[in-house]
Amino acid sequence: MDHDDKKNTVIASEQYLVRLGIKTLLNVIGVESDLHEVNSKEELDAFIADGQKINYLILSDDLFSKHGFIDNNQLKNVSHFCKTLFFCRQKNSLCNCNHFILHSNNRKQVVEKLEQFFFEPVALSSDKDSCTLSDREIDVLKAVALGFSNKEIADQLFISINTVITHRKNITGKLGIKTISGLTVYALMHQMVKAEEVM
Amino acid sequence: MVAFTKFSKMAEVILKDYQLLPIISRFGIKLGFGNKSIEEVCTERNINVTFFLEIVNSYHNSKYIPSRHLSDFRSDVMVNYLINTHSYYLNCKVPHIEFFINKIEKEVLKENSRNIKLLKHFFKEYKTDIEHHFLEEEKNIFPYVLLLEEALQLENCSKELISKIKHEPIEVYERNHESLEVKLADLKNLIIRFLPPLSCEDDCEHLLTELFELECDIEDHTRMEEKVLIPKVKMLEQKVLEYYGS
Repeated sequence: MDHDDKKNTVIASEQYLVRLGIKTLLNVIGVESDLHEVNSKEELDAFIADGQKINYLILSDDLFSKHGFIDNNQLKNVSHFCKTLFFCRQKNSLCNCNHFILHSNNRKQVVEKLEQFFFEPVALSSDKDSCTLSDREIDVLKAVALGFSNKEIADQLFISINTVITHRKNITGKLGIKTISGLTVYALMHQMVKAEEVM
Repeated sequence: MVAFTKFSKMAEVILKDYQLLPIISRFGIKLGFGNKSIEEVCTERNINVTFFLEIVNSYHNSKYIPSRHLSDFRSDVMVNYLINTHSYYLNCKVPHIEFFINKIEKEVLKENSRNIKLLKHFFKEYKTDIEHHFLEEEKNIFPYVLLLEEALQLENCSKELISKIKHEPIEVYERNHESLEVKLADLKNLIIRFLPPLSCEDDCEHLLTELFELECDIEDHTRMEEKVLIPKVKMLEQKVLEYYGS
């Protein structure tokens, strides 16, 4: 199933501190993805030419603006083939990205935009196969029905609390059930848990 | 959307929005009012017209903002109405829903009976939740509202009341006022999406209609508490503090 595929995220910036900062924040919001760093346009091209799959690309404008100008054609080419988040001084209406983080954004805005960028596709795919929960979501749902807290579920499944929260949001989105007791009834109806375990 | 006025005909109110039927009966108004206006019917029954209009209009139009007339009716009128509403839910709506769940439970085929039992248990839990919520309001919030008004009327205010306004104002209740509709929405979803089809479709339809109605009514009721009760109490709190100093 698509959800269980390993995802590749590429962080492209000339600046070490920018890459480090992004990596740290991805860790904070609980993105489960293989992270790759590239520090030049050439290295990024090589990565792409190598045929490696990129699911998410976080692109800093320093890669394109050697002389203070951004080459829009280059940018278009790169951002065309995968989901791209552009880290830049100001929004650029010519490129294909819908996602921007501006240099002037504060921590909260940056975290929100990163969460949107990474967790939005899960919400979209829930439209396609609504009601079908992924294996991981079923694990989380079972644990919720058994009365475990988000922290406990995170520990049991070796994922971050934020990931648990994301799974729970997606479960609620797919099933339309918001409360813990409602989710428990669903889990019981579908025999994911036994009545004696829940009581 | 035009708001109803005291000159609107009572019959037209119901013809325009039949969901107001349970509201007028909560005021003790019976059908058969001929061509009488809202004002006439209310006067006959000794009902505060301003308050009646506030309620009917906020139920009829969710965007209606009632702040203009907040000082035109007494709190006990509102508190009585809210208590009546609580008992309407518990003594009228909840038993209806239980009736249909029980009926379905009897008619259902074996393979689905476990599911119905689960839903029945879920609704029982919900009933306990709302009983608890209502009791809390009737025991702690409503008496406080009445005390505030009494303090202004009798020009006598206890130290305890002043201290409560300062340390535990209605704002605390406002912040913790939990929504009672979410669980009902879950129950509807479980039936509509996940319950294997029932042989007694008719009863299932009735049950769902009851759930939709209750959800809608409780939503309006919550809005009433938040848009009419709380602003009014805040106004009273401020008046008491101004009057008796700090």
